[in-house]
Amino acid sequence: MLFLRLLIDGIVNGCVLGTIALSFTLIYSTTRLFHVAHAGVFTLGAYLVWTFLGLGLPGPVAVVLGALCCMALGAATQQFLYTPLIERRASPLVVMIASLGLLAIIENAIAAIYTPNILLFPPWWGKDIVQLGSVPITYAQLLSLAMGLLAYVFLMGLARFTLLGKRIRAVASNAFLAEIRQLDPKRVTIWVYAIGSLLVCLPSSLIAAEFGLRPYSGLLYLLDASIAMIASGLGSFTGAFFLSILLAVLQNLSLMVLPGQWSIGVTFFLFVFLMLFRPYGLFAHAR
Amino acid sequence: MDFFLSYIILAEIYALLALSTNLLVGVTGIFSVSQAAVFGVGAYTCSILTTTADVPFGLAILAAAAVCVVVNVLVALPSLRVSGDYFVVTSFGIQFLCTAIFENWVGITGGSSGLTGIPAPEVFGFHTEEPTHFVLMSSAALAIACVCFHLALHSPFGRLLAAIRQDELAVAAAGQNVLRGKVNAAALAGAFNGVAGGLYGAFLSFIDPYSFDMQGSILLVSMVVVGGVRTMAGSIVGPLFLIGLPQLLAFIDIPSSVAGPVRQLTYGVLLVVFMMFRPGGLVGRRL
Repeated sequence: MLFLRLLIDGIVNGCVLGTIALSFTLIYSTTRLFHVAHAGVFTLGAYLVWTFLGLGLPGPVAVVLGALCCMALGAATQQFLYTPLIERRASPLVVMIASLGLLAIIENAIAAIYTPNILLFPPWWGKDIVQLGSVPITYAQLLSLAMGLLAYVFLMGLARFTLLGKRIRAVASNAFLAEIRQLDPKRVTIWVYAIGSLLVCLPSSLIAAEFGLRPYSGLLYLLDASIAMIASGLGSFTGAFFLSILLAVLQNLSLMVLPGQWSIGVTFFLFVFLMLFRPYGLFAHAR
Repeated sequence: MDFFLSYIILAEIYALLALSTNLLVGVTGIFSVSQAAVFGVGAYTCSILTTTADVPFGLAILAAAAVCVVVNVLVALPSLRVSGDYFVVTSFGIQFLCTAIFENWVGITGGSSGLTGIPAPEVFGFHTEEPTHFVLMSSAALAIACVCFHLALHSPFGRLLAAIRQDELAVAAAGQNVLRGKVNAAALAGAFNGVAGGLYGAFLSFIDPYSFDMQGSILLVSMVVVGGVRTMAGSIVGPLFLIGLPQLLAFIDIPSSVAGPVRQLTYGVLLVVFMMFRPGGLVGRRL
């Protein structure tokens, strides 16, 4: 019973983590830039939704507004921070340090404006429970499942059937050629950041509803998501999504033998193990 | 006078750390955000040895340096084998894992309340409880580290590291061992961190996990970036400036609850501004 419980929790958490991993994979595979500040956008999302809920807005409206703000922040980061740096031929290291700086700015601005302590996030989706056989499932968990699957289908559809998706894939495979063919990689990249940032608002709120709002926790989730992304061989949505679920299930099952505070140890151990034996990902062929 | 001396001592300890971060980030071009964690490993190792095992300070600090070298090399080895972006994930992972260990391994590290009553060392008959005596010891340590840094930078080894930063492929093509160069850089950085950790614990006679968290790593990167990369002067100017900054901020009237986040926010702003307008820092070279 405990096993089943942890398994279901793992799958649900995996859908939340998977959505973050999808958004990060979208950004990383297109730009090849480790966008550390994504963790800040993620954290900000939940705080914004919390603020909008506090203003008396209905839940779905608050989430949409929060997601749009995240989207604007992501696009602005690319437009005003990364593009000028890359145009100046700054090394990837310089861009990454700037990204780390932006993360510090976002996190600490949140801590200064709200509070560095944990805030409670009221779950607007209610606390009702559905019985699935013998296992009770909360609305939040159903929402997480639906969100994860929707995000996956949305991104797969975007990449496969839309013009923007095709442009994104073109820029991802060769930005220089895309520039020559007038696909406007700059605008495409802004869209990539916008969509990636849009996607993390709801997962951030779901996590906040479970663990409370914390200004400095974003990187932990981004770390898990990027481990899933690396394990899938960088750049595969399907791989990143399903490995997130696998990772979350393993983390949850590890709770049977280890206390919760060591789950970062489990994750890191899995990562180092992966580095040693399949450094290019589980599904990729050796390059 | 004592206030000024303790400022100098802290700045000297952080200068040691800045030298090591400079070696990794500035000279070799490895984006490492786990320097504070390794610093913490050094501080805990040395402090535990001197308090509970009554090991003489000289031996304890050597042991701390050795442990830090081993930690840095062991965790860096698998990820450096692959590519730079994997090391980013590794270094975030080490940072979070070490923070989890410092906070949760209560029996050894004292948990979140930290270790207290670390004895001030007695070196060559000098009791270093007096800041006037301690400053001699920390200055000596910094001087030795500076000589090491200078020799390393101007030796074939230093040129190898600089070449790795500029073009790994060319270095490999020239028959040099890229991995060995990076691992040696990580080892030297680890030794600096271990010594700095030992001095830090002995000087404050108290350590807790919050000096060695993610924010601490961001502070170290800021010091290197503000001071300037790839020069020794940069790694000394940066800490002098950034350790003094909180004293300046104290003149502005802000409530104490937001003082910490505001200080960290300043570091983030400095990172972004320097990357945008002066990536070489105050007295550094081009990053």
